[in-house]
Amino acid sequence: MAVTRKRSKRFEVLAARPVNQDGFVAEWPEEGLIALHSPNDPRPSLKVAGGRVVELDGKPREEFDMIDQFIADYAIDLSVAEKAMTMDSQEIARMWVDPCVPREKVVEIFRGLTPAKILEVVDHLNVVEMMMAMYKMRTRKTPGNQCHVTNVRDNPVLLAADAAEAALRGFIEEETTVGVTRYAPFNALALLVGSQTGRGGVLTQAALEEATELLLGMRGFTAYAETVSVYGTERVFVDGDDTPWSKAFLASAYASRGIKMRFTSGTGSEVQMGYAEGKSMLYLEIRCIMVTRGAGVQGLQNGSISCIGVPGAVPSGIRAVLAENLITVTLDLEVASGNDQTFSHSDIRRTARMLMQMLPGTDLIFSGYSAVPNYDNMFAGSNFDIEDMDDYVILQRDLMVDGGVRPVSESEVIAVRNKAARALQAVFAELGLPAITDEEVEAATYAHGSEDMPERRVTDDLKAAQDLLKRGVTGLDIVKALGKRGFEDVARNVLGMLKLRISGDYLQTSAWVDGEFNVWSAINDPNDYRGPGTGYRLSPERWQVLKNIPQAKRPEEIGE
Amino acid sequence: MNEQVIEQIVRDVLRQIRAGGSKTTTLADKPGSEASPQAEKKDLDPQRDYPLAQKRPELLRTATGKKLEEVTFEAVMAGQVDPLDVRITSETLLMQAEIAEGVGRTQLANNLRRAAELVRVPDERILEMYNALRPNRSTKAELLAIADELEKEYEAKINAAFVREAAEVYERRGLLRTG
Repeated sequence: MAVTRKRSKRFEVLAARPVNQDGFVAEWPEEGLIALHSPNDPRPSLKVAGGRVVELDGKPREEFDMIDQFIADYAIDLSVAEKAMTMDSQEIARMWVDPCVPREKVVEIFRGLTPAKILEVVDHLNVVEMMMAMYKMRTRKTPGNQCHVTNVRDNPVLLAADAAEAALRGFIEEETTVGVTRYAPFNALALLVGSQTGRGGVLTQAALEEATELLLGMRGFTAYAETVSVYGTERVFVDGDDTPWSKAFLASAYASRGIKMRFTSGTGSEVQMGYAEGKSMLYLEIRCIMVTRGAGVQGLQNGSISCIGVPGAVPSGIRAVLAENLITVTLDLEVASGNDQTFSHSDIRRTARMLMQMLPGTDLIFSGYSAVPNYDNMFAGSNFDIEDMDDYVILQRDLMVDGGVRPVSESEVIAVRNKAARALQAVFAELGLPAITDEEVEAATYAHGSEDMPERRVTDDLKAAQDLLKRGVTGLDIVKALGKRGFEDVARNVLGMLKLRISGDYLQTSAWVDGEFNVWSAINDPNDYRGPGTGYRLSPERWQVLKNIPQAKRPEEIGE
Repeated sequence: MNEQVIEQIVRDVLRQIRAGGSKTTTLADKPGSEASPQAEKKDLDPQRDYPLAQKRPELLRTATGKKLEEVTFEAVMAGQVDPLDVRITSETLLMQAEIAEGVGRTQLANNLRRAAELVRVPDERILEMYNALRPNRSTKAELLAIADELEKEYEAKINAAFVREAAEVYERRGLLRTG
C-alpha cells in the first residue's frame, strides 16, 4: 500500500519556484565536482635549479604533464618567484584588496606564484573583497561590454540590424556564431556591416572551428577571435584537439595577421569533459589562466562560460567564477568575464551572479550579453538577453554603475536598424549575392526576432556564402561595395577596421576602439585605482547619458 | 646585410607578388621584409609613443610600403589599395613587442615576436602548420621538418625552436602520431 506523505503547502509553493528547477549537487571531490577545496589539490611548492623549475606544486619535473611544463617554463617569472612563494598567503590576499597597495605591486608578486599558491591566496577572499580587488586589478580603467548577435535561421538581414542596434546601445565588441556552419561567411559579413553602421570601431568576431575562424579573420571579415579554448588537465586538452604549444602557435598566427585574440577557459570544463583528475575546478582553471599568460595571449574569456551549470551547482561555485575572473586580471590579462550562458531559471540567481562582474566592472562584463531574444541565441542562451535590457539599463541608473550600455530611444533604434539592413542589401547586390528584398529590409527594421522575418532561400544563401570565400572576397571589396552604393560613412568605418591592422595598436592588452578609431588599452588607459576618488569614475557626461532613461517622467510632463 | 638575408627578402617579395601583391613593390620601399628578431629597436616609450597610429604614424608602413595616411577611402575606391596594404608587417609587430616589453608584459612581447616571424608564412601554410601541431597529428620527424622549414624558408628561428620543443614534449607525453 502506497503511503502518501502529507505535504506542507509552504513547501509546495517553494518547490514550484523557478530556483527549484535549477540543478544542485553535493560536493564530490573524486569527480572534481568541488569549487575550491579538493583533498587532491596539490600543496604549493616551487624548486628551481640551473635556471629552471624542477618541482612545481609537489611534482618533480620528470613527472610534469605538458601543462605543468608549459606553466613552469613560460608562465612563472623566476626572477621574483622564490621571494613571492615564501610570502604568507593571507598577507598577499590583504595586499590584493588593500587600495593603498598599487596594482603593479600585486601583479609583480603574482608573476612568481604557482597555481596551488594562487588557489591558497584567493581562498582568503570573500566575494565583496574579490569585487574590491577586481576594481583595482583589472588592467584597463574603463569597463566595457560585449554582446552576442545571432539568430536561429542565420538570417543575414536580421543579423545586420541587430548588430547595428547593439553598437548603438554601446557594446564595444560583438560576437556571432552560426546555426549552419556553411553560413559563416554571411554571418561575419552581416555582423561587420551592421556593427559599422551602428558605430565605427566596434570589434566583431565569429565563433567557429579554429581554422575557419582564422581564415575569416585573414580575409578581413572579423577583427578578433576568442573561441580558442584551453583546459586544465592534459587529457581534456588533448580531447579538445590541442596542446599549449598548438594554441600558442595559433595565437602567434593571429597576431601575425594583425588580428586581436584572447583564449577561452572556465571552471567546470574538465568535469564536464570527464577528466578533472579529482582536482578542484578553480585549481584547474588557474592552470588555464597561466597557460594563457605563458602563451603570451593578451587576454582570456573565462567565468565558466559554457560550463556554468557545473560550478553553479556546487557550494561556493559562483564565488569561484568571480575568483577566476579576478586571477585573470591579476595575471595582467584582459578578462571577458562570462555571464554568457543561461545559468539559472531564477531571475534572482542570474542577477546576483551577474552583479559580481557588473559592480566592479571588467574589460567585458558579459561575453556576451544576448543582443537578441533567447530563442535566437545560438550560444545556448545568455545570462541576460535583449528582453532584460531595460532592467539592466535601470540597474545602472539605480546603482550609478557603468555596465557598458546606454539607454536608447525607439526612433533611433528603428533608424539605425533600417540603415544597416539597407547597407547589407547594397553589399549583397554589389557582390552578386542572393538579393535582399525591400520586404526583408522592412521586416528587419521593426523585428524583435527571426520569427518576424520572411523566409530566405537557404540553399542559395549557403552556395553563395561558400562562393564568397572561394572568390577570395576581402574586407576591401566590402568597402568598395558600400562606397559604390552610397554608404560612404559605413564604408569608411569598415576601412577603419581594416586599418587597425596596419598599426597593430589593438593587439595590446585590453584594447577597444572608439568611434573615431582611437585605440584604448591597458597602456593608454591603465587602471590607477588607489581608493575613493581614483580609478574609474563616471564622468558628468557619461552619468548624464546613463541616467536619462526614456521611462523617467520629467517635472514638466507632470505639470502642476 | 648578409646574402642569406637578401635572398630571404627576394623570396618574400616574390611570394607577395604571387599572392597578388603590388607589382611596383621594391626592396627599398618594403621595410617589413627587413624585420627579423635582430632588427634594431626603435627605443619606443609606451607612455610617449603608444598608440603608434596617433603618436608615431611616421614609423608605420604597410606591407607594400605605403604610409598609414595613404590608405584612404578615396584610394580604395580608385583601386589603389591592395589587400597587402591592410596587413601588419614584421617590423610593426616588433615595435608592438617593444611596447609590450616596456610595460612589463614579457610573454605578450614574445608572442608578438613569434608573430613577426610568421608574417612571412603564407596563410594556407600557417593553417597547415597549426593543424600539424595538434595532438596525435604528426610524427616527430614531421614536426622537426616543419621546424626546419620555419627556420630555413621563413627565417622563423623562435618558432622553429618552439616547434622542436613541442616535438620533445609530445614524444615524452605520447602525443605523436603512431603509424
